[in-house]
Amino acid sequence: MARTKKDRLIQMAPHFCGFKPQGVQCKTSTEVFINFEEYEALNLCDYELLTQAEAAKLMNVSRPTYTRIYESVRRKIAKAFVEGSCIHFEGGNVSIANWYKCDHCKITFTIPDNSDKFCPLCKSQVITENK
Amino acid sequence: MIIAIAANENHLKAIVDTHFGRCDWYCIYNTETRKSFFIENPVRHSQEKAGCDAADLLIGKGIKMVVAGRFGSKVVDTFRKSNVQMIIPETQQTLKEIINQIK
Repeated sequence: MARTKKDRLIQMAPHFCGFKPQGVQCKTSTEVFINFEEYEALNLCDYELLTQAEAAKLMNVSRPTYTRIYESVRRKIAKAFVEGSCIHFEGGNVSIANWYKCDHCKITFTIPDNSDKFCPLCKSQVITENK
Repeated sequence: MIIAIAANENHLKAIVDTHFGRCDWYCIYNTETRKSFFIENPVRHSQEKAGCDAADLLIGKGIKMVVAGRFGSKVVDTFRKSNVQMIIPETQQTLKEIINQIK
């Protein structure tokens, strides 16, 4: 069995679903799917202009892994541009920063400022922050 | 404390809706009086900003905790600014199960 992928940390998911080319009819056979970790990799490196090492640290992966994700998104975008296909943002192994996870009942939740850190449903103190 | 739960039907055996902004009903539960009632989501069919409008409506009712399957990024910002706790249950749970655990 292949090794399971570690969750990549993203700061914020995109607030729209994707892109479509102008002037051509989009066929469902030529869609390109970009997952959230790839979106975040492109965002950190080319929009926020971090170095790859800094970006890898933010996403909680090693620098070579980051480069692999980044390379994959560049190829996908190039493919979509050249072939004129739709781009969808979808899926990926991600967890979002500043959210907490309860180890006991497996729910995800946020904690408002200046309040105690415990799970709101089972009141257990054993929680992990995504970081 | 007042809690809002996104639901797809207006009874306590309904399951938590998968999306916050465009669910059909909100269950409002008050932990002090232990009473719940349902309000219909007025913005579920609007073209845009359904989540933001729904969030403003619920914040106007003084909620401090909100449960739904998924939150959009603008909604997360709105709730963070007004110090509202957001909860995403991992498995499909009914409103009754959530309320029983919270109280």
